[in-house]
Amino acid sequence: MFDLEDWLTLLRDWRYFAEGLGQTVKASGLALLLALGIGVVVGVLSVAPWRPVRGLTRVYVEFFQNTPLVVHAFFLYYGLPHLGISLPVLAVGVLALGVYTGAYISEVIRAGIQSIHRGQLEAAYSQGFTYLQAMRYIILPQAFRVVMPPLTNQMVNLIKNSAVLAMIAGDELMYRADGWSSYNFLYRQAYTAVALLYLCLTLPLATVARRLEQRLLGRESREVPL
Amino acid sequence: MRGWVRSVVAGVLALGVAVLAGCGSAAEPASGGEGGGSGEQPAQVSKLEEIKRRGYLIVGVKADVPGFGYLNPETNMYEGYEIDLAKKIAEEIFKVPGQVKFEPVTAKTRIGLLQSGQIDMIIATVTVTEQRKQEVDFSPVYYTDGIQLLVKKDSGITGLKDLDGKTIGVAQGATTRARLEEKAKELGVTPKFAEFPDYPSILAALQAGRVDAFSVDGAILKGYQMQDPSTVILPEKYSEEPYAIATRQGDDDLRDLVAQVITRMQESGELQKLQEKWGLTGQ
Repeated sequence: MFDLEDWLTLLRDWRYFAEGLGQTVKASGLALLLALGIGVVVGVLSVAPWRPVRGLTRVYVEFFQNTPLVVHAFFLYYGLPHLGISLPVLAVGVLALGVYTGAYISEVIRAGIQSIHRGQLEAAYSQGFTYLQAMRYIILPQAFRVVMPPLTNQMVNLIKNSAVLAMIAGDELMYRADGWSSYNFLYRQAYTAVALLYLCLTLPLATVARRLEQRLLGRESREVPL
Repeated sequence: MRGWVRSVVAGVLALGVAVLAGCGSAAEPASGGEGGGSGEQPAQVSKLEEIKRRGYLIVGVKADVPGFGYLNPETNMYEGYEIDLAKKIAEEIFKVPGQVKFEPVTAKTRIGLLQSGQIDMIIATVTVTEQRKQEVDFSPVYYTDGIQLLVKKDSGITGLKDLDGKTIGVAQGATTRARLEEKAKELGVTPKFAEFPDYPSILAALQAGRVDAFSVDGAILKGYQMQDPSTVILPEKYSEEPYAIATRQGDDDLRDLVAQVITRMQESGELQKLQEKWGLTGQ
């Protein structure tokens, strides 16, 4: 039996979910900018010719890749205020998601840089470029093409991970679904609806990633001389 | 372009199938009478019979409400007024003590667990409401509580009227929010609300200054107030919260047995004695 009435209840309250979706988009979008910024800087520094700097990037990446996102979010939300720093919950979400995903993105960028032949860097040096100039004008533009597909996957992960904010009253999509369902007892409807809404955000991204990957493969095979 | 369309369609279809499957399985037990949910047993087996065959009663209780249902970290045993009630009911069913298993629940999880048959009954500070009566059966009331506010002593807050524009931390799925919103409207103030999955999170949020007040039924607040002496419970009560034991609709024999036990304990004064034992009588 299809419980039409329950689904209509959900449709009637669509605005409540739409507001949650808006908050998810806002938190994810801002976190993405932060993560990309951190990822590019740390990625470039992680292959820099300066050993202490490389060491520091390693510490950052290993720490954030190997500890749970929930722990970071709880630390910022419950822990920091006791040190006199009380960030609004949106800032907590952006910071936690951005710094966490930044660690993954920096690894993607590093792999991209390392996939570019070393001769490119040597050629740039011979033309008088500094390390950072060579990265900016020679290496990164080429690496970016290679890293687009894995980068997009990280964006998808970031959006999915934003559901963690429900645990700290983040007022985003998952939080709204939790509150609404436990009040109306319509768990199946609520969580099905939010799954579909998350899909609306992530599926287009995932599809773009696959298409970029295919285009990349296609171009490379064409570049192979006969 | 076509690949893009195809993947969207595939995703939506997969979800659609999952939804339909979910609907199907949920509808079956309802149409098949009060079977325990397992297909092996004949549909006519009553809940009480099912419990007796299993050999123990499964009760959903609170693990984080000192005095009512509390998993004591020192003994790793459940204790409290509601735990004692559960033990009494199990003893009534099996005629010997100890045949009871406690399953920790929260305000958010408890109704779902009962309806899916994972627990036999809920004795976990459940307030009787008209809306919940549509979902579950209730026993006679075994305790009446009221919503109160827990605030930091140095906050200067003396009641709901001081919370205009401030944030109140409440539990997800609890009746607290709706009741407070009504009262706030009468007082002409509009507080904000933040919902948390469990009570310790709300206390942590209060301590961190994330919320200005922690609100739930007074008896529950008492345990948290004792944990943090820098907080104080405000005397004003914003509701009448009658607590009763919830059983699944259709489990009539179990519901009747529970009602008998509670009525008898009420008449013999045993309920009163248990409340005194757990310090729940001081209003």
